[in-house]
Amino acid sequence: MIQITELEKYYATEEVQTIALNKLSFDIKEGEFVAIMGPSGCGKSTLLNILGLLDDPDGGSFIFNDIDVTDFNERKRANLRKHNIGFIFQSFNLIDELTVFENVELPLIYTGVKAAERKKRVDIVLEKMQIMHRRNHFPQQLSGGQQQRVAVARAVINEPKLILADEPTGNLDSSNGNEVMQMLTELNDQGTTIIMVTHSEHDAKYGHRIIRMLDGKKVTENILV
Amino acid sequence: MFKNYIKIALRNLWRRRGFSLINIIGLAIGMTAGFLILLYVNFERSYDQFHTKKDRIYRIVSDIKTPSDSFDTSLAAWAVAPTLEKQFPEVEAAVRIMNVSMLVRKDDIKFKETTTFAVDSAFFRVFDFKLIQGDPKTVVKSPFSIVLSETAAKKYFGDQNPIGKSLKIMEEGHIATVTGVMEDMPENSHINADIIFSLTTYTQVLEKDSDLDNAWGNYDPASYILVNENTNPDLLQAKFPDFLEKNSGDEMREYKMFVTLFIEPFKDVYLYSTRGGNGSGSITNIYIFSIIAIFILLIASINFINLTTARSVERAKEVGIRKVVGAEKQQLAVQFIGESIIICLIAFLVSILLTTLLLPFFNDMAGKIVSPGIFSTPFHIFTLLLLSLTIGIVAGLYPSFVLSSFKPINVLKGNFSTGTKGVLLRKSLVITQFTISIALIIGTIIIYNQMNYMRNQELGFNKEQLLILETNATESQETLAQAIDNLPGVISTSLGSATPGGGNSSAYSEIQNKKGDLQIANLGLYFVDYDYISQFDLKLLAGRGFSKEFASDSTEAMIVNEETIKLLGYNDPNEAIGAKFKQWGREGQIIGVIKDFHYTSLQEAIQPLTMRIELNHYNKLIVKVNAENSTRTIASIEKKWQSILPSAPFDYYFLDEYFDRQYRSEERFGNLFLSFAILAILISCLGLLGLAAYSTLQRRREIGIRKVIGASVSGIVNLLSIDFLKLVFIAFIIASPLAWYAMHQWLQDFAYKIDIQWWVFLLAGSSAVCIALVTVSFHALKASLSNPIKSLRTE
Repeated sequence: MIQITELEKYYATEEVQTIALNKLSFDIKEGEFVAIMGPSGCGKSTLLNILGLLDDPDGGSFIFNDIDVTDFNERKRANLRKHNIGFIFQSFNLIDELTVFENVELPLIYTGVKAAERKKRVDIVLEKMQIMHRRNHFPQQLSGGQQQRVAVARAVINEPKLILADEPTGNLDSSNGNEVMQMLTELNDQGTTIIMVTHSEHDAKYGHRIIRMLDGKKVTENILV
Repeated sequence: MFKNYIKIALRNLWRRRGFSLINIIGLAIGMTAGFLILLYVNFERSYDQFHTKKDRIYRIVSDIKTPSDSFDTSLAAWAVAPTLEKQFPEVEAAVRIMNVSMLVRKDDIKFKETTTFAVDSAFFRVFDFKLIQGDPKTVVKSPFSIVLSETAAKKYFGDQNPIGKSLKIMEEGHIATVTGVMEDMPENSHINADIIFSLTTYTQVLEKDSDLDNAWGNYDPASYILVNENTNPDLLQAKFPDFLEKNSGDEMREYKMFVTLFIEPFKDVYLYSTRGGNGSGSITNIYIFSIIAIFILLIASINFINLTTARSVERAKEVGIRKVVGAEKQQLAVQFIGESIIICLIAFLVSILLTTLLLPFFNDMAGKIVSPGIFSTPFHIFTLLLLSLTIGIVAGLYPSFVLSSFKPINVLKGNFSTGTKGVLLRKSLVITQFTISIALIIGTIIIYNQMNYMRNQELGFNKEQLLILETNATESQETLAQAIDNLPGVISTSLGSATPGGGNSSAYSEIQNKKGDLQIANLGLYFVDYDYISQFDLKLLAGRGFSKEFASDSTEAMIVNEETIKLLGYNDPNEAIGAKFKQWGREGQIIGVIKDFHYTSLQEAIQPLTMRIELNHYNKLIVKVNAENSTRTIASIEKKWQSILPSAPFDYYFLDEYFDRQYRSEERFGNLFLSFAILAILISCLGLLGLAAYSTLQRRREIGIRKVIGASVSGIVNLLSIDFLKLVFIAFIIASPLAWYAMHQWLQDFAYKIDIQWWVFLLAGSSAVCIALVTVSFHALKASLSNPIKSLRTE
């Protein structure tokens, strides 16, 4: 599903150039659950952004779903992203001004789903995530665990092939964290490919494979399953 | 999708209520100002546009040259209009309109009607004034035919049908017959009167002997012509020199008064003509107010842009999320423009409310009913709606561009900075706002200075405690003067044909100049009595005043002002004493020279003026009253008046107020200017308040660190304020020369004007600084007083 070859990314300030990704290559197959680990600043998040089509690489190539997306412009990337990729963040990133329902509904709006259909689908997902009773609340009125469940609901509403999770349990206590990991596992069982950046060895063990990074390079790869 | 946008827009507005309030109020005030000015400008531009034949009507005006001087007038000689109609086939009709102020009586009802028109019979054919009763072809044809407006008809006849009934007009009480009733003339008509009567009243009866229809040297009526379709006005005007030569060439040479006729398009007379005449507007004022409106809207839009971009940090997360879940840049841009349109529409509603509330005051300030109510003109509402949509789109464009360009990875990861690009833009926009505000403050100060200067200028005559009674040249006025003179509380009385500030006639004159020749000139003329000069405290420079001891003074003596002897070439007033003159059938010599006094407003330079005794030509009684008990004195004067002149209404005014009335339009202009300047400053400050709030918010961490290290509260207030003060200072540097130039131009319209002083700029600059300082330091103080631990922890 994903093939990256010699991927490079630099960040430059006025005086210093930092290499975030240094000729990184690996493949991820459809249906895999991959954890990416490494110390702060090793390039994990940069990688996730490129994989999520939020950022473009400075070198190398990136093939997503058999399409070379390396040189896609923003519009094409946005289009591909909204149909195929769901995101889950450490800080939930819900829109404060929208209710639970509206936050989850948002991706459907951008993919042009009709209102009646949207309502049906959002309700199903909220039911599944067990936050139906909170559908008209605003994010600030929810606990962290509930917020992350909303975020997961939003990530899966479009039934994406790929879910990118950036430290999804980082802001949660362990029981809420486990719950989220459980959800990801379930999604993976249903066929969704998951790539997760994490600091937690415990969480990483939910995956099939752990890619460890340092200074923008892959250092080891453990296959767990 | 739009529902989602609207929802989030409204929730955002509500969540940041303070911010939204600043934004909406600023915009609403700006729009209200813009709207009021739009109404005013449209009203001024609508003058005379309701006449269906407006494109074919022209006003004939004259420039007159004598060997000594030249002047232009909005009038044409009596003979011009009828002769044009006779001799030029392309002239379909000609109408002369003479402005008359006359006494009108019906039984006990009597009024001094100040604006009545004597008009030619084609009046209702050429102009679109609607007759409710009467035949437009004939209503003002025969002498003593009178047409009343509905208001006037009601005033004199109540609910009776006035047609065929009679009114007594003028002092003499001529019987005039009401032949028609017309709708009240619209306010936006430069031709405006309540009562209209036939000009033949003069040409065929009252002044029959003067043969006015063939008089080429008398200028009383304004003249309008209606030409055929396809008539080229320039070609017509080109034929005028020959026309004048043929009809009055010999006369012009004999009197050495050379006339040039011009035609002015009727529809431009009100705004563009510089010749005055019946009520005139000013295209310059229209421009000035339009520019102010644009400025105010600009300031309001700038606020909007500034506040929205400054706040963009807060919206960044939302942008990031929306992009991550699939929003494209254009969709986001549309969303943010949509939000700005929503804000503008709310501002629009608020401004409709504000305009409705303010319109009566504005009408009052403008001195006319600019609009009876905004809802009476859906067109204006629509224009404003369009305007607010435009502002919404234009002002929303930049912020939406900035916001939609955020890279989601940056904003979601939190390593997001506003960058310096936006800051620069915001700073230049603030500078623009304050440049406009400071320029408007400077303008306001200078306008008020000039007004003050005109009011307090030494006029060269005494205008205090002088009561003017309009006697209208009745025979018993001397008896009246005598009787009033004896009343307690009355210091002295005098009779004259004119008073300062009240206009005067002018006369074709021949006066001996320094070379000894009789020099021809058109000179201002006052008919005065023996006490006039002392009544006004006019200063004699040479010779003597009029005196009853010299019998010839009443027929052969003339007193002139300094300007006259300057015109004649004398250096010393004494040289002019004894110079011979011929004027209006009188001959004699100059017996005295008086110091120049401002007998017109200070907008105009003092012109040559002559004074003569001419019994029976007075129509004003000037009474000097004791300041104490003046109310009682006036009451006793009125009583005396009623007993001696029972037929005339007791009509009086104080000279000082009357003279200052000349500055009323400047005063209105000044007040309007001031109001809009205050609005501009207010909106700028609202913007500054918002910006200061956000800039302190952004520097919260810096402030915390500084405080931990040991900065004092005042140190931090300084730190935060100085940034904004710098901008105000730059604005001051830019505004000063611009304002100086503009106001210098404005002052050119005044013959007597102030010098623009440096302190005006200093005052404007320092008040802008003070206002900005107060605005900014509110937030700066709040930030510097807050607990540093809090601000550091939140980072």
